[in-house]
Amino acid sequence: MIEWIHPGLTLILGAWVLPLLRGRIQRVAMIALPAAAVVACFLMTPGTYGVVSFLGQELVFGRVDSLSLIFSYVFSIMALLGMIYALHVKEDSQHVASLVYAGGALGVTFAGDFLTLYIFWELLAISSALLILLRRERSAVQAGFRYLLFHVFGGLLLLAGIVLHWEQTGSIAFGDMGAFSGSLSWGLILAAFLLNAAVPPLGAWLPDAYPEATVTGAIFMTAFTTKSAVYVLIRGFAGTELLVWLGAAMAIYGVVYAVLENDARRLLAYHIISQVGYMVCGVGIGTALAINGATAHAFAHILYKALLFMGAGAVLQMTGVRKLSDMGGLYKTMPVTLGLYMIGGFAISAVPLFSGFVSKSMVISAAGEEHLPVIFLMLTLASAGTFLHTGLKLPYYMFFGKDSGLRAKEPPLNMLVAMGLAASACILIGLLPGLLYQHLPNAVDYIPYTLAHVTSTLGMLAFTALGFFLLLKRLDPERTVSLDTDWFYRRGLTRLLNLILKPLACLEYGYIGEIYELVIRRPVLGAASLFQRFDSRVVDSVLVGVGHSTRSLSQHLKIVESGHTQHYGLIMAAGILALLAFLMLAL
Amino acid sequence: MSFLERQLEDPVRFKRVKLWFHVGLVVVIAAEIVLPRVFHGGDHHFSFESWPAWGSLYGLLSCVAIIVLSKLIGKASLMRPEDYYDD
Repeated sequence: MIEWIHPGLTLILGAWVLPLLRGRIQRVAMIALPAAAVVACFLMTPGTYGVVSFLGQELVFGRVDSLSLIFSYVFSIMALLGMIYALHVKEDSQHVASLVYAGGALGVTFAGDFLTLYIFWELLAISSALLILLRRERSAVQAGFRYLLFHVFGGLLLLAGIVLHWEQTGSIAFGDMGAFSGSLSWGLILAAFLLNAAVPPLGAWLPDAYPEATVTGAIFMTAFTTKSAVYVLIRGFAGTELLVWLGAAMAIYGVVYAVLENDARRLLAYHIISQVGYMVCGVGIGTALAINGATAHAFAHILYKALLFMGAGAVLQMTGVRKLSDMGGLYKTMPVTLGLYMIGGFAISAVPLFSGFVSKSMVISAAGEEHLPVIFLMLTLASAGTFLHTGLKLPYYMFFGKDSGLRAKEPPLNMLVAMGLAASACILIGLLPGLLYQHLPNAVDYIPYTLAHVTSTLGMLAFTALGFFLLLKRLDPERTVSLDTDWFYRRGLTRLLNLILKPLACLEYGYIGEIYELVIRRPVLGAASLFQRFDSRVVDSVLVGVGHSTRSLSQHLKIVESGHTQHYGLIMAAGILALLAFLMLAL
Repeated sequence: MSFLERQLEDPVRFKRVKLWFHVGLVVVIAAEIVLPRVFHGGDHHFSFESWPAWGSLYGLLSCVAIIVLSKLIGKASLMRPEDYYDD
């Protein structure tokens, strides 16, 4: 009997069966594969499985504990929802990439050592890049390559960190890195994790790439890369103080950019950064409540963010429009999409009875328990910003606002079913938080529904809405793009090259040319003329001399060659006589 | 015409929707001030959390601050024309 089946490998290998199948059988397999992964994850019991010896080290493919289990639950559920949403897509390569991507995230979750982690880490980057490239538009292909290059850079940081860590400790086991804090390997591995978690200034790849992905591919992308990074941060860097401030800053950073954004999916992408900020902050605080909060928020976030991207994706697919300034008035023809989107909007905004309320508040309360008033205020402010954008601005300009004349129909049934399932999960977790809390890595002693918490949250949300309607004119989407740190590799490098071109030219002609003339050209030319003189005087006269002597010798020998037989006979006879005389004298 | 469409497009009904929104605001802020004081519900971590209507006021302040400051930062430095990155 097989001891343990790796749900990630099941998806990664199973994905390659899909292109061999057609029609209904293929669609059944598209659902059956992730469904099998969900079942495998929920049936799993804690322990260590899949240990392989390699180069004297142990590769652990199956570290199963409460932390990896809860992430595996949500990753596999998300793979299932994403495949349902993508069921109508007739492109096998997208489905293969999506399943391999989901499998990679599960592989990272169960990896017990750095080498296994690294393999699945790279798999995440490659498979997700395909989901961008497969949209095949010029902007998507460009963004896809930028995304891939940036993640390859991240992968190299990770590999460098792993090799240094291996050399220093002799072990590749992946656990809490607190003991190595401040070392180079610690820094490199942390930087690689932060890059995937989209922490500024390493996070601009996310809003650059996600809105360029295919409608269905983007759903997978919202879930796996950043949240598997949150998982490894919890595993390796819980309690790292730097993360508290980075997390809180990134929660606000996402909100600020969302104000300026006009592209619907890019606005949501900035809110992924904002929401992951809460998780990173929770990891940094590092108490039992904070780690529970980061984990619970990752779980809830994956479901509602997928739902929001599904809603925006449905609008994009049915209208072909991606800018908020071109939308408006869609509530008349897409009321179901609007309703389901709003459930996601309420969940991310932490409205009571929705999932965000029971998860986000854990992180904020953890900041309160640790007496971090500035962090507490920053996170609460970002929370208002979340409702402002995802719950108010986006639906207002997409579905209400100025009627754009677009009359799009509801999306295909499978997309609505996927959205419906995600929406149900958002409400279920909000109504019965115990369902989620019982799987958290630490014992939970937290009650989200207190009178003070509910009333102050409602007050905050209601008055955020008031502020929104008062300042509505100022929020009108503008046809602009906003500069982010991706500017440095999209434009900055070109600018830098242009800038250094002139000084470089001056240096070339003014100094390097002169030095070259003095050090290389002149000595070489001098030596060459010396050789030339030697050649013309010595070598040439030797050759000419040889020629002359050969000619004069032949002039003399010419006399012998008379052409008369009697001369030759005479010479031969004289020769024979000379020989005889020589012999006689010698004897 | 759907229910939502009637509420939003008929000026009389829309006025009523607005009124209910404002009534809702009053109810919410009153609830926040009164309820936790009448029934003891939940502990506070910081003293400012027990100020009357703290959540409502901070929500309004946050919303206004985010919109105004973000737009200022955007106009001053970050925003570029849509075709900025096009070749």
